[in-house]
Amino acid sequence: MFPTIFTKHTIEFDPSKCVGCGLCYKACFVDVIRWDEENRKPIFKYVEDCEHCFYCQSQCKKEAIRVVPNYASERLLQSFPQYK
Amino acid sequence: MDYKKENLSCDVLIAGGGVGGLTAAIEIKEKNPDLDVLIVEKQTTGYGGKANKGGGVLQYFRPDMSPAEFVKFHVENIGCYLGDQDVMYKYVEMNTEMLEKLISWGCNLPKNPDGSWFVIPTGPMTSMITVDLDITLKMRQRATKLGVRIMDKTTVAEFFVDGDKIAGAAAYSILDGTFYVIKAKYVVVATGSQNYRFASMWSSGRGDGIAAAYRAGAEMRNCEFGNFTQIAKVKSHDEVVFGENNMYNAKGEFITPHFRSYRETDINSNAIREWYWQMLAGTGPVHLEYPEREQESRPAPAEGTDSKEGGAAMARLFDRPYGRQFRMLNTISSQSADQGSMEICPLFIGEQSPIRVDGDMATSIKGMYAIGDCSYTGSAAPGAVPAPPGRNRGSGILNAVFAGIVCGDAIAALKTCGCAPADIPAEKVAAVEEAIYAPLKRTAGHKAKDVIDLVQRAVVPIEQSVYMKEDRMKKAEGIVAEAREASKDLCAEDWHDLLACHEAEAMVTCAEMFYAASEMRKESRGWFLREDYPDIDNKNWLKWIIVQNVDGKMTLHTEDVPIDKYPNKPE
Repeated sequence: MFPTIFTKHTIEFDPSKCVGCGLCYKACFVDVIRWDEENRKPIFKYVEDCEHCFYCQSQCKKEAIRVVPNYASERLLQSFPQYK
Repeated sequence: MDYKKENLSCDVLIAGGGVGGLTAAIEIKEKNPDLDVLIVEKQTTGYGGKANKGGGVLQYFRPDMSPAEFVKFHVENIGCYLGDQDVMYKYVEMNTEMLEKLISWGCNLPKNPDGSWFVIPTGPMTSMITVDLDITLKMRQRATKLGVRIMDKTTVAEFFVDGDKIAGAAAYSILDGTFYVIKAKYVVVATGSQNYRFASMWSSGRGDGIAAAYRAGAEMRNCEFGNFTQIAKVKSHDEVVFGENNMYNAKGEFITPHFRSYRETDINSNAIREWYWQMLAGTGPVHLEYPEREQESRPAPAEGTDSKEGGAAMARLFDRPYGRQFRMLNTISSQSADQGSMEICPLFIGEQSPIRVDGDMATSIKGMYAIGDCSYTGSAAPGAVPAPPGRNRGSGILNAVFAGIVCGDAIAALKTCGCAPADIPAEKVAAVEEAIYAPLKRTAGHKAKDVIDLVQRAVVPIEQSVYMKEDRMKKAEGIVAEAREASKDLCAEDWHDLLACHEAEAMVTCAEMFYAASEMRKESRGWFLREDYPDIDNKNWLKWIIVQNVDGKMTLHTEDVPIDKYPNKPE
């Protein structure tokens, strides 16, 4: 019915580098990342809500995470054609 | 969806585990260890909030400057006589005490080899001290050591009031939906400002605590000073702090002098209005230039200013391990998107922070306090500006620390009876529970993001939120009304989605308060600009607008700013 506000940022994750510290899960302030207790690995469950803050990436000491922003999927919403 | 139910009890419930909530928790336990303090945080305490997302600067006032001098400067140039000058004075006076406290709590603040603070001058009468982004983690460690209980991934959804006194809150887990009824003698709201989920980094401020306080009947103040907007690169949306000093139009004309005659502490809404005028006149797009040869033509620093060029100062601000890494990741990514483009346009940030509090950070509901970014304009301390930075860079974290200490001291000093908090009637709990979980029971209706999209379409265009006029406000209000209607049948698929529904509803409430108060204020003052009332009106509008939910209806009235009792008065 209405256009949605989903972003299209992507999060690249290399499970072979992950040591299961859980810092990426704690760091995410918008609940994009959930935690798989059994396998001790992050689940990138709500990627469409990612705000590309890079906090998860900056916390990962093993460099297992890379956030790749898609800036074009974010809005400026100003009332001139090029900024809508 | 099935969920468990649990009843909890504490002396002090703190909603929000950012820098403000942690400060209050630590201060209370240090002053009164017998009090049982519980922090309930929507995400993860120590990681949530804004303090650790790239800000990392604390306001610093030079020892050779008296608090009265800064208050005078702020009242005249930033707050435009709408501030509570007593609270602002107290904030400045406690500057060193706050910094020392942070160090005693384990936070890393830089000092020079001789023991003095490592200070970066920024603007007229202001300087900054950097603090690394682990500030809230250090504070969490301190709070835990003191015996503060912490519940993460749990959101406070509603407050219970018994007569005119707070009784507790309803909360739920965003992981498994567990419903918590939390009885508390005192409640501290520390849930941040309303940022309408728009700009990256700022988007965690979703106003749910503000809206819950409003529904509980707490008074709101200065709702109309709520839409901070920064300038940002068009391609990467990367904010350009101090970029307003270097704005050029498409004809190559240096347009900063149109709105600024000296280097101010931070961006002013006049810069945003200038961008709009340039675009309307067909002389856009606007871009930034930093030509060395023209440095002399830049607005000269105001008298007494030690300000350096923005870029160099900003680089020094990030000279710390966590901050440096953050900046590097952001810079590499945004530069690859910008590809050298210096085109800018406004980036809407929001920052509505209207919960009314007194000098102790107490709200109009007995036993309920509000601190940090949810009550910045509500405290009236800063006057006619949105929440931090509020044209006062470095005040965000430090204001939260200030409010947390003041509130913590007030609560720690209160006499408690030693008995358990009062019971909350079962029928009240049942009604709240039904309302909270209603979106999960609907199989059809609007999605949270439909509502958020509408609210953003109302508040984000700057001519509807920064440079306003009655007809444009009416248009925006119409969109907000549509959002309100859509919010009545919100449906959610899971707990994450349920939270989004409650945040969406909070955005509608905050936008409604913003437009109601904005229409009422028939003047321009500080950040607040109206095309149809372009001048400041000290004769009729040295007033605070108070918004309150009375029996489900939004009411507004004004109160005179008690200017006679303050040292600084308009001519």
